[in-house]
Amino acid sequence: MTFANGDSTTHFPAGSDRASPARFDVRAFARSAQGNHRETLRLDEFATDPLSGESLRAVRYLARLESGTMEQLRNLLVTATHKDARITAFLVTWAFEKFWIADALDAVLEANGQRKSHEAAEGSTRRSRIESVERRGPIRRAITGLIQGVPIIGVHVTSGLVDEWITRAAYDRLETASANPALSSAISTILGVKARHVAFFDHEARERLADDPRAASLTRRSLERQVWPIGAIDRADDDRSFFESFVFGSDEGRARAADIGRRVAELTGMDSRIGDAVARKLHA
Amino acid sequence: MAFDVDKYTATSVSVNWDDLDLERFHEHPLPEGSLRTLRYMADVEYHTVCYTRDLLTTPSHKEADMSAFMTMWNREEFWHGEALATVLGIHGIVVDFDEIKADRLKLGWKDKLDPIKQSIAGKLVGTDFVAVHMAWGAANEWSAITAYNRMAELEEDPVLAELLKRIARQEARHVAFYTSQARDRLAKSRKAQVLARFALKNFWAPVGSSIMERTEVVHVMGHLMGGPEGRKGARKIDAAIAGLPGMEGLTIVEDSLNKLGVAA
Repeated sequence: MTFANGDSTTHFPAGSDRASPARFDVRAFARSAQGNHRETLRLDEFATDPLSGESLRAVRYLARLESGTMEQLRNLLVTATHKDARITAFLVTWAFEKFWIADALDAVLEANGQRKSHEAAEGSTRRSRIESVERRGPIRRAITGLIQGVPIIGVHVTSGLVDEWITRAAYDRLETASANPALSSAISTILGVKARHVAFFDHEARERLADDPRAASLTRRSLERQVWPIGAIDRADDDRSFFESFVFGSDEGRARAADIGRRVAELTGMDSRIGDAVARKLHA
Repeated sequence: MAFDVDKYTATSVSVNWDDLDLERFHEHPLPEGSLRTLRYMADVEYHTVCYTRDLLTTPSHKEADMSAFMTMWNREEFWHGEALATVLGIHGIVVDFDEIKADRLKLGWKDKLDPIKQSIAGKLVGTDFVAVHMAWGAANEWSAITAYNRMAELEEDPVLAELLKRIARQEARHVAFYTSQARDRLAKSRKAQVLARFALKNFWAPVGSSIMERTEVVHVMGHLMGGPEGRKGARKIDAAIAGLPGMEGLTIVEDSLNKLGVAA
């Protein structure tokens, strides 16, 4: 325990984020966390302009993904990622904001006469041999995490970034497909909240991939075999197939997937092989 | 009484201290021993999310209510850390995320192996293990409330007392969640009772023991639970734990104080 001598004129915890000015300010993010959105959602409008079955299915699936933070936290925190207090501080607020994003999507479902996402029945998960490694539980994750050490943080933040790109594509597709002003407004609120998550993952991923070749090589291996979006592994097979075809199935969707692949390829230490592997899996 | 998770999530807020005149600490600084205790508390609060990891490695994370609670709980505890860090900051004690990271890295192998051990135990005993976690969580949250209230009592500073009372009020809701979960789950399963009793009796140690140096644990326990009044608080926690199904007669807090050599 160190008792550093801070500047006594500094009022807020002098520690904050003192490094580079461009560094994402986790404390400012936590201070301005965005919670319950129900009051600003235009829920009444759905009574006269309801969503189609297809849009509702996409909303339900996204709500389930957004609320899967505790599963994701478990996988992250059994590794060295839990040592990084700045990352864990970010994740606390990130989980809080995603909880309320899922709640906003649930509110949309309810306004359209549907049950909340976690109350509705869900089919069985996809069973594939290739994905079995991604289905590994906390014990195996903790053991491999022990060996991988600190560079695993690079994998986690890069996966977080790619996941944000993928869900962004999904929200964009849903917005166009539904052509519903109330849903567009909800999506715009959600994307506003997510913009800061993207900024954090983006900054962290670029820094860690550039700084540590081991983080980059672990990330290559992980991105190549990961199941997208994060959390899909726990979701129903038929919903995943629906999502893959709804967001990335058409020609336009394939272009969207290819664009994400290109962005992956451009990250430090990645290349077109990794980018293509990610893109290919999006419309599996 | 069942815990209403929807109501809890709807009303969960970060602890507020905007209206408190913390600047007074420039004129009336807290004594060093108190700052040392506050620093311990801040570290433990920031570490809460890491305890979630242990909870999450058990089947409990599949349950929506549990996830909702843990999301808010984590955030409230993080803000307790921020509130205490602000008080420390005014005293020139910097609580920096990078420094906490360095401390966490020093924890070494024991901490690294914890999630593995927890997960394996979780796998072996399944849902009964959730009951163990809930009883364990209840013991920790009772300790937290007692510690904050005791410190508010000990410090003569009215502003600090008010801040600590606000934090303790939030901890009270956490206690309500953990006890209602523990009570239900323990009442349903004799096996869960046996497991929880075994785990608490043999492995429980004051919150923070696994992440702080022993000298700090001894200081904080001596500060807040030493002497006749401190002991009285410890006994109250023990009585609350003993009130859970199957936990009759446990005195884990007193036992741990004796082990640490904290005078009664």
